[in-house]
Amino acid sequence: MKKNLIILTLLAGVIPTLLMGCERDGTAITSTPEPVALESNPPATLGTETASGETGMLQIVANGEDFVRDGFTSKDGWEINFNHVYVNLAEVTAYQTDPPYNPESGSPLNPKQQVQLDGVKTVDLTATPENPSPVLAEVPAPPGQYNALSWKMVKGTEGPGAGSSLIMDGTAEKDGQTIAFVLKVEREMAFTCGEFIGDQRKGMVSPGSQGQLEATFHFDHLFGDADAPADDEINVKALGFEPIAAIASGDQVNMTSTELQQALTPADYQTLQNLLPSLGHVGEGHCQESASS
Amino acid sequence: MINRPNTPTAAEAVLWAFASGLFAWTLGNPLPAIAHGVQLTHQTLEAVEVQALFDNGDPISNAQITVYAPTDPETPWQEGTADKNGRFLFAPDPSLAGNWAVRVRQAGHGAILNVAIAPGPSPEAAVAPPDATGVPEVAPSSQTLSVRSPSVNPLPTGLAIASGVWGFVGTALFFSRFNGNGRGGPRKKEDSVA
Repeated sequence: MKKNLIILTLLAGVIPTLLMGCERDGTAITSTPEPVALESNPPATLGTETASGETGMLQIVANGEDFVRDGFTSKDGWEINFNHVYVNLAEVTAYQTDPPYNPESGSPLNPKQQVQLDGVKTVDLTATPENPSPVLAEVPAPPGQYNALSWKMVKGTEGPGAGSSLIMDGTAEKDGQTIAFVLKVEREMAFTCGEFIGDQRKGMVSPGSQGQLEATFHFDHLFGDADAPADDEINVKALGFEPIAAIASGDQVNMTSTELQQALTPADYQTLQNLLPSLGHVGEGHCQESASS
Repeated sequence: MINRPNTPTAAEAVLWAFASGLFAWTLGNPLPAIAHGVQLTHQTLEAVEVQALFDNGDPISNAQITVYAPTDPETPWQEGTADKNGRFLFAPDPSLAGNWAVRVRQAGHGAILNVAIAPGPSPEAAVAPPDATGVPEVAPSSQTLSVRSPSVNPLPTGLAIASGVWGFVGTALFFSRFNGNGRGGPRKKEDSVA
């Protein structure tokens, strides 16, 4: 009888223990880790979805950056300031593409939606403080994300940009010498760019609201930037201003592309020609230059 | 010569029953951690590795990375920094199918990479289900750190109580058996000595 009592007592402890052990194992197998929500995860909201056929507004601006507005020092030490920088822009077109257009992939641009500006716009990129980026247009646009932009730089037919696609009018100073320059580029170019890249994403248009796109021009690519390291790609490839200063007459240079071709060394002229297609950007985003004349 | 008793004493029986019940209760109700209790868990997610290189092949070391989910192209979904080799790893929420945009910037250079994410099997199977506002609760990382509260399952407690009761019932039956046939009961000291 003593043995039966011991067995019963043992069972009183062992059986519940076994049952609880099975239960604990089951919990571990069927449970899932409890993720911790991160505050950096933003709420998911509707982005490019549209509930109706309402349109928004798309503003397209041209931006020569602070290099043009405030001046800068070239890679070879010339302090460059601009009086005017005129560009003639035509067929400015904003796109919604799918898939997103990558100008460096060689793949074609596949637009699902597009908005094009009529006519030729001549803008002066040396904007005033009140107008840091000249507005090309504000146009009604179907909602969505405009993730590509194209434009042409064409020779103007009237106004300050007549006869050239790009006119750089300014002064350069170094070691007490001041050179006034007017450089007139006649070459016509076409830029096809992907998404704007900058501090904020741009190009989003919602019904009743306004988005913005920007045609950006990087003039440090032509002259270099003393603030960047000498071995930086921007300076290694740049022409600098010294070749321009070398062909100055009476402390001034006023030449067209044709005249520059005759005055500059072949290597310097070729460098200039190689650099012109790199002017066009969308913020920091690159473009493909596809047409030259 | 010492004679071993043939039956347990009452104290032994009570102690045995109490110990068995306490043992079962302890196993079923582990004490909660007192302090500094953390628990590391992990979940396996599909990740996207981005490598940012300059045109000449040099890595864009420590590039600023901003990831945008397809549902909200204006608000960063995740921000971070590439390593010295220009590499950055992120785990997109598979329930948000579409083009995930990865913006890479450093000192005036920048590019955007679009990564197409196909629809996942189901939001429930992929990661934690979204709440009422659609906010994904999953951390965009292959590992998460969570602190869990102790189990509140009532089954272990119930079994422990039952086993304890059974021990006491057994003890009572033990004594009632001795009382019924005139044997047993508390033994005298001399009972155990020859």
